[in-house]
Amino acid sequence: MPLPPSARAAVVMLAAGEGRRSGHHTNKVLLPLAGRGVFTWSIESARRLPAVTQTVLVIREEDREAVMSMLEREVGPPDVTVVVGGDSRHSSEWQALQALAPAIEAGEVDVVVIHDAARPLAVTTMFASVIEAALEHGGAIPVRDQAHLASLTEDGEQPPDRVVAVQTPQAFRAGPVLEAYRLAEADGFVGTDTASCMERYTDVPVLCVPGDAGNIKITFPEDLFLAERLLAKTDWDLSGRQRHRRESAMSHLRDLFAHGDKP
Amino acid sequence: MSTTEAELHCEVCNQLTDHELHYTGRLLDSVRCTRCGTHVELSSRALIPAYAMDLEHRLVSKPRRMMRRIARDPVGYLRQLPGSALRQPRKFLNEFRELLRR
Repeated sequence: MPLPPSARAAVVMLAAGEGRRSGHHTNKVLLPLAGRGVFTWSIESARRLPAVTQTVLVIREEDREAVMSMLEREVGPPDVTVVVGGDSRHSSEWQALQALAPAIEAGEVDVVVIHDAARPLAVTTMFASVIEAALEHGGAIPVRDQAHLASLTEDGEQPPDRVVAVQTPQAFRAGPVLEAYRLAEADGFVGTDTASCMERYTDVPVLCVPGDAGNIKITFPEDLFLAERLLAKTDWDLSGRQRHRRESAMSHLRDLFAHGDKP
Repeated sequence: MSTTEAELHCEVCNQLTDHELHYTGRLLDSVRCTRCGTHVELSSRALIPAYAMDLEHRLVSKPRRMMRRIARDPVGYLRQLPGSALRQPRKFLNEFRELLRR
């Protein structure tokens, strides 16, 4: 089912980071990658959808100057609303939802999409699929099967439960997600992710949609090299090979060497 | 070459640590964990052709990027233009020198 033309979604980009906040280092979502900041890649991917009418970027106060400068340089209109996040993911989501509350209450937003800005390779079709599923079912999260992480049963068989890795973007109907976070705030509940808060405070079903192996989260140094190669391919190919030659994502890492040398 | 520092997960330390990131032009060249010294870098065999491709893209996309900046802030752009133009030869020389040193 394609997205209905009347659908209106707000995208919340979480860029406040989860680090130690020592202040002297660059937030990884602000790092340059293939010619632009990590976080602006996902903003661009999401905003290719006409359904995305609002964008809220959650940042750390100390990153404000750098963020504003990158937004001005790399992101076109319409304007992105910038809010300062809290000390947890849940708190950052709550700040963003408070910024969106007037629009949600006025019925101007049908779906809220929450995305981790450290996942610059989330493609437009993934944003579309979670918005579509959220419109139909209430909530949607992309997952990837991780069967290799499950312990076998005593009989040596796979356990009946699926083990999955949850990715972002995650999308939820706007009214219920705002209500869930209001109730969580009143209770002092801090969820690990948006879905956990929705499951606790609403009976809205959350559908699992297929995730994408390429939708990596920048965590390890190697992720930056891989993401740079893959993101560059949207505009130009750093390998200089013909674009029609299909290669696996991992083939781009063949020239990457790790050294265990100590300083 | 430009350098910045960011928190990334080090597989050797098995924790979030500060890393030094080195860029050649716009491309990430190497990353080093400041705690244990683990160093990950692109080989020269990969970096030099990638740099050449990226340089080509920078040149081809320059007019479009200039136009975007002019449209956004024409006065500011014109004010900064002489300084930026004068800095370009030195910037490229430094990038080429860093590549040749590898």
